[in-house]
Amino acid sequence: MPLHDTSYQHWHGIHLGLWGRRWVIARHGLGACLQIKGMRQLVVLCWAAGLAMTGLLFLVGQLLVADSAVVQWLSNLNPILQASAQLLTTWLEQHPEISVRTTQDLLLYYFATYLMRVGIFALGMTIPLLITRDLARNAIIIYASKAVSRGDYLLGKFAAASGLIALTWLGPVCTAWFLGNLLAPDWRFFWHSRAALGHVLLFGLGSMSILSLLALGVSAVSAKEKSTPAFWYLWWIIGGLVGPIAAQTRPWLQHLSFNYNLDQLALGVFRLGTDLKLAQDNIPVVGDLLRNINPRTMAALNSPALGGASLALFLMLALAAGIIAWRVKPE
Amino acid sequence: MATVHDRSRKPVRSLPQEPRESLTVAGLLSQALRDKCGARRSNTATGLLGTYGIGLPNSESALNITMEMAPQMVIETEGLSKVYGRQRALDGVTVQVAPGAIGLLGPNGAGKSTFMKCLLELAPITSGSARVLGREVGREGREIRKRVGYTPEQDCHIPGMVGCEYVTYCAQLSGLPFQAARRRAHEMLDFVGMGQERYRKADTYSTGMKQRLKLAQAIVHDPELVFLDEPTNGLDPKGQVQILELIASLWRTYGITVVLSSHLLQNVDRICEQIIIIARGRLLVHDTLENLKARRRGAAEVVIASRHQELQAACARRQWPCEVLPNGHLKIEHQAASLNPLLQLLHELALAPLEIIPSPNALEETFVQALEMSHAAA
Repeated sequence: MPLHDTSYQHWHGIHLGLWGRRWVIARHGLGACLQIKGMRQLVVLCWAAGLAMTGLLFLVGQLLVADSAVVQWLSNLNPILQASAQLLTTWLEQHPEISVRTTQDLLLYYFATYLMRVGIFALGMTIPLLITRDLARNAIIIYASKAVSRGDYLLGKFAAASGLIALTWLGPVCTAWFLGNLLAPDWRFFWHSRAALGHVLLFGLGSMSILSLLALGVSAVSAKEKSTPAFWYLWWIIGGLVGPIAAQTRPWLQHLSFNYNLDQLALGVFRLGTDLKLAQDNIPVVGDLLRNINPRTMAALNSPALGGASLALFLMLALAAGIIAWRVKPE
Repeated sequence: MATVHDRSRKPVRSLPQEPRESLTVAGLLSQALRDKCGARRSNTATGLLGTYGIGLPNSESALNITMEMAPQMVIETEGLSKVYGRQRALDGVTVQVAPGAIGLLGPNGAGKSTFMKCLLELAPITSGSARVLGREVGREGREIRKRVGYTPEQDCHIPGMVGCEYVTYCAQLSGLPFQAARRRAHEMLDFVGMGQERYRKADTYSTGMKQRLKLAQAIVHDPELVFLDEPTNGLDPKGQVQILELIASLWRTYGITVVLSSHLLQNVDRICEQIIIIARGRLLVHDTLENLKARRRGAAEVVIASRHQELQAACARRQWPCEVLPNGHLKIEHQAASLNPLLQLLHELALAPLEIIPSPNALEETFVQALEMSHAAA
């Protein structure tokens, strides 16, 4: 016999608002993803990479200021290094805004695009947890019978996927930017590198939304938990392999890879060609060194295939939305 | 002591709050002349407010109940239709349902589940309109579902969760803050009789456990109305009785309107006060169980310990058909609206029955008749 009252009790409390209920779905989705041990390890790895990036930005920042601790330390080591460092900083100090902007844009571009691959890998691990399992266990009908709509459910799942990308990608990159500038020898570094942050946020948030929606679409393709991640990874890997091969004969085939399209988007957002041109024109010696960059690389940096990438991504998103609309129904 | 009672109320007798309806035979004999048996059940809001198909004399009772209770309708539909491709799952269903324990009957594929899904916006309505708890279906879905619970027929749960976590999550989805949701989840799991199993993953539950879990998630947010789609599917007889007792208590003790969809007539007969029969997407019958039984009253099952032949002979003298059922009960067709003539006969014979079951199989007969008329009309 129970020691307490087990009869039915009425409840007279205040209900959560709509956003509160959406947040519950998102939090639950993200929590389920983080229950995977490999995912937790991946998140730790990403943040460790973010800290490493902070260290790199700190070192670069030190090199850009003449009286910084690193330059002083290098000067004390060797007279030749002292002369080189002074020469370098003198050139760079002539246009600190261009030096800082170009350096951080370049570093954060590479960091963001490489870490994006980790985010894509992480999404692949958690794709079954987004919609696939709910389809397999008829959980959609449970959600649909509660005080949330199909749109609320999808918004919650979208937020969960975005949260995962934020944890593995956008968070470490933005933190690296912030800490790197916080540890820089001059507060003006924040101001000079504002464009880099803007680029990171623009590209990061855009790609996060695109990848989240694509992941939801793939997650809704099947109710089999092994099929959907396999589909995601195959799409990613085959797209990555086909792209370089097809580039010579049928360049449009490259756009079948969402990774390639996002890379083009990154080039369009960061506009590295403009940064390098500015450095070439305004910073002595260093600018001359930058002129030695491969012309094909410069051409690729200057004119990314934005039109094709945008169209391909739009079609992929439309397909994903169609799959979601078709599959995620309580009936 | 011998008792006379309605079979439909048997399972809920054990509930503490359940008003007892048993009367002694001696008391009943004196009371019988002024009371109709059915009048005792009019303590809840039940009424015929939408009858379609077989028209039977029931407008008087409907009017009386409407005037007495004037209840707010929990479900109102007008020409509700739902079409899947070429198949018409619901065909112009117009009904107004008052609060109570409502049995939704129909053969497999009749449209019962579709009817509930349409009301919950789980399936979009093709044409017509519907209101649930005064709110319009199609425009106020979230608000409706905040006040309504639902247990689907099929096996479904949110994967990877232990029982109590799952019910807590469902409460949060219905808008309860976390602390309240967790507390209520445990209360509801206690209520449905789940013990330590609540800390196991729902994927590992037996069918009975899953049914209890489904019921707990449906009522965890304290709804005003609960739709239960075949809640006893896959349960053993003992489990069925336990679940039905819980469901019965929801309305009779706690005032939560229950819509029980089932193709098992005995389940509905046990706990429901209103009956809706749907077949081929059409509403065939909507009436109180009392009225349905009243139409069939004229027969009774009598349980006596001895002197069967004497009673049979007395019935024969009055030209009442009488047969001995396989279980030893006597089925007597006394052909009267009340039990009074039968009780009078028993009194004359000085027979003390162990049990009298008025209108046995009334629901089954009504159901079959409705279906036959539906087939004939088609």
